[in-house]
Amino acid sequence: MKQVGSSQESFSLKYRIQRGIRDLNKWTVFTVLILLFIAVPVITIFFKLFDGPGESWGHITNYLLTDYLKNSFYLSILCTLITLVAGVFSAWLVTRFEFPFRTYLEWLLIIPLAIPGYIMAYAYAGFFDYGGIFSWLMSPLGVENFKLDMMNVIGLSFVLGISLFPYVYVSSRAFFLTQALNLLEASRLLGISETRSFFKLVFPLARPAIVAGLVLVLMEVLNDYGAAEYYGVNTFTTGIFRSWFSLEEPETAIYLSALLLSIVFVLIILEKYQRRKLQYTTPKTGRTSIDYRIKLSYPKQIVLTILVSLPVVLGFLIPVIQLIQWAVRTYNEVFNQDLLWLSLQSFGIAFVAACFTVLFALLLLYFSKWNKIYSVQSASKLGVLGYAIPGAVVAIGVMIPTLSLDKSFIEWGWASKFIINGTLIALVYAYVVRFLAVAYQPLESSSLKVNSSIPDSSKILGMGNFKTFFKIEFPLLKAGMLSAFILVFIDVLKELPLTLILKPYHINTLAVNAYGYASDEMVMHASIPSLFIILTALIPVIVLNKLLLKNG
Amino acid sequence: MKKIVLLLLIATAFFACKNDSKSSTKSEDNELNVYTHRHYDSDKQLFEMFEKETGIKVNVINSKADELIQKMVLEGEQSPADVLITVDAGRLHMAKEKGLLQPVSDKKIIDSIIPSNLIDKDYHWVALTKRARVLVYAKDRVDPTSLTTYEDLVLPQWKGKLLFRSSSNIYNQSLMASIVANDGEETAKKWAEGLVENQARKPKGNDRDQVKAVAAGEGDVAIVNTYYIGKMLNSNDRTELEAADQVAVFFPNQNDRGTHINVSGIGVAKYSPNPEAANKLINFLLSEEAQEVFALSNYEYPVNENIENSEVLKAWGDFKEDDLHLNQLGELNKKAVILFDEAGWK
Repeated sequence: MKQVGSSQESFSLKYRIQRGIRDLNKWTVFTVLILLFIAVPVITIFFKLFDGPGESWGHITNYLLTDYLKNSFYLSILCTLITLVAGVFSAWLVTRFEFPFRTYLEWLLIIPLAIPGYIMAYAYAGFFDYGGIFSWLMSPLGVENFKLDMMNVIGLSFVLGISLFPYVYVSSRAFFLTQALNLLEASRLLGISETRSFFKLVFPLARPAIVAGLVLVLMEVLNDYGAAEYYGVNTFTTGIFRSWFSLEEPETAIYLSALLLSIVFVLIILEKYQRRKLQYTTPKTGRTSIDYRIKLSYPKQIVLTILVSLPVVLGFLIPVIQLIQWAVRTYNEVFNQDLLWLSLQSFGIAFVAACFTVLFALLLLYFSKWNKIYSVQSASKLGVLGYAIPGAVVAIGVMIPTLSLDKSFIEWGWASKFIINGTLIALVYAYVVRFLAVAYQPLESSSLKVNSSIPDSSKILGMGNFKTFFKIEFPLLKAGMLSAFILVFIDVLKELPLTLILKPYHINTLAVNAYGYASDEMVMHASIPSLFIILTALIPVIVLNKLLLKNG
Repeated sequence: MKKIVLLLLIATAFFACKNDSKSSTKSEDNELNVYTHRHYDSDKQLFEMFEKETGIKVNVINSKADELIQKMVLEGEQSPADVLITVDAGRLHMAKEKGLLQPVSDKKIIDSIIPSNLIDKDYHWVALTKRARVLVYAKDRVDPTSLTTYEDLVLPQWKGKLLFRSSSNIYNQSLMASIVANDGEETAKKWAEGLVENQARKPKGNDRDQVKAVAAGEGDVAIVNTYYIGKMLNSNDRTELEAADQVAVFFPNQNDRGTHINVSGIGVAKYSPNPEAANKLINFLLSEEAQEVFALSNYEYPVNENIENSEVLKAWGDFKEDDLHLNQLGELNKKAVILFDEAGWK
């Protein structure tokens, strides 16, 4: 028996290698090249696993890790629930029903993403604090000096969930907007209620899109530090920073990050493996009509408006009211013309970084598709991991390889000083590494619904990969690309640790400005730059949302 | 797609040109690269004053000290950093241990301005400003004569009444390091356990939140930095003003070693491309005109003893400082964190 097994194994291994060589094409090479380019920082950190942790490892596992893991676990579960409910339902309602203010709510639902997590945390703590706005609202009811304590796991989950649900909203809406509604029409004709067909049909169909958004939420939740630190909730990332900053062991911090990376990588592969068994492409890819929206009776429409407004009120209105209140108080000290210049710089950087990120995500996605070796396809997932680890650690991952390159350049006499580090090259590269996932996930999920038979027939008819892509897949991908662009743009706009560490001297961003105040416990002063971040984010959101609807 | 590619090219070109124009006008001798953890408006003002006085352009990289130190380690001998500024002695000590700093050149000048416990023994760094870690108490509930020392906070009378922030906070770590230095490890660990025993709630929020919680009655005594109370007393926020009004400042350990102080400080980078300018900056920041800016605009205690404290600080009166050498705080920082964890101080 044993012998048979082993001979089979060796046969299969040999067979596999042979098959691998047969399937090897130029796209495989390109995929690997792009992957290497993007994943070098992540791989650098990965390899630190083999260096082992520093001497504080025992201390961390003895005293800290259990508590940290427990908190991270609760946080992940609660955030999943909040973002699922807020994201999927609102996406479904705005694409399927007609109600007052729908068109405004459609893009307002993206905006909570523009508020940096730690600012959201400060705003909510302030809103519910003693003498805060909420306490003032309650005082006519005879409740004096009320405080709702936000500073615990539940409060933190709420704050993070309500600022991150747009990931789920955007990816599921891109799916709802462009998927064939024929099936839904059929189910309606068969007399199945809207609610039932949502749970039985749409929800399962939209799974790749929802999961794509959810993966982003969870990665972001896992690497959050600012909000968690302020609320005193110790998470896995607290462990990373405690070993780096307090225990003075960057090695242990990187080791922990590498562990986190491995966990997330396994989860992503598992999800992909499970999804592989299911076919998600819809039978027809003809232009789907979203002109048709169900009109309920007027009172019901009002209920819908209220329901869909809820995430906007919680994720946008309340924090913005709090920020405006603070802004009014600090206006004299903080407001100046530099802020406009800062907004312009932030806009420019975010724009360039978002373009490159979407471009690389597309290249990685399609090159790996055109390559026929499955394991290379799986490995391409390595490219998205930069999003799972804290920005400060990504910065180290970026600095290690780029600095050695820079140093070699100087050694070879090609340059007199660093030409990658301390310039925009390193910064934009780092953004691409960090935010590739944000572009990749919506792109991948919208590429999944392009029925493969169409590009296949195009190729049979003699069109090349590129031509097929531009003529056939590209138009179908537009919604996904626009979503990807908006998300990366907003993310770069509010990004912090990477920008702080890698930015050139003469560049400054709104996020850096806001952080300068917030880190000095001058939260109120941070409100004006934060509001500018939101305003700057509004521009592409509104423009691209229009494009998205036109192309839907 | 073509349009997008085009836009991308234009945008890249725009930024590339911007870079070039900047770098071509660069004359390396007249620039100073500052890696700093301080990001206050007072510092901006001081750098501008320095630029005007010397003609040396100051470039600032703002980040957390640990990240800056890591950056310097990776950059190695080619690091563009000229000086490193942090908000605690521990990080400077760490930078020195990693071989990232070099001695300042004008030791005599510095010796004449600052007390010796605020200067690294090998002159690798010097303090710029001081903050005291004090107790604030609710005026209406606490009799100040019942307060004495940090050590006495473990007494049962404070059960459920103490407020302090997380042990991740560097100021708490420095305080703990000073307790270890003065009382020994065993006692320090017991002290931390005693404080956890007496805490009014789990550590959370920042220093200002602790003051607000005392004002709201969640606890009676909080451990905070003078610097933040100064800020609160001059806040634009009515709630913060009211909260700061309801509490008073107490300087502990006046009858023995004195109140714990921590500092922000500066050192010259080992591989500084422009050490001369770096030393100029240090001398400037210690000069009376610069120290006055620190004292007046930021509620910090100046290290230059010729400069008076700001009005806010004067109102709290003079106090005896713990003159423990700052090197020891740096050396004991890690030990302090380990003891915190063992004692369960979150």
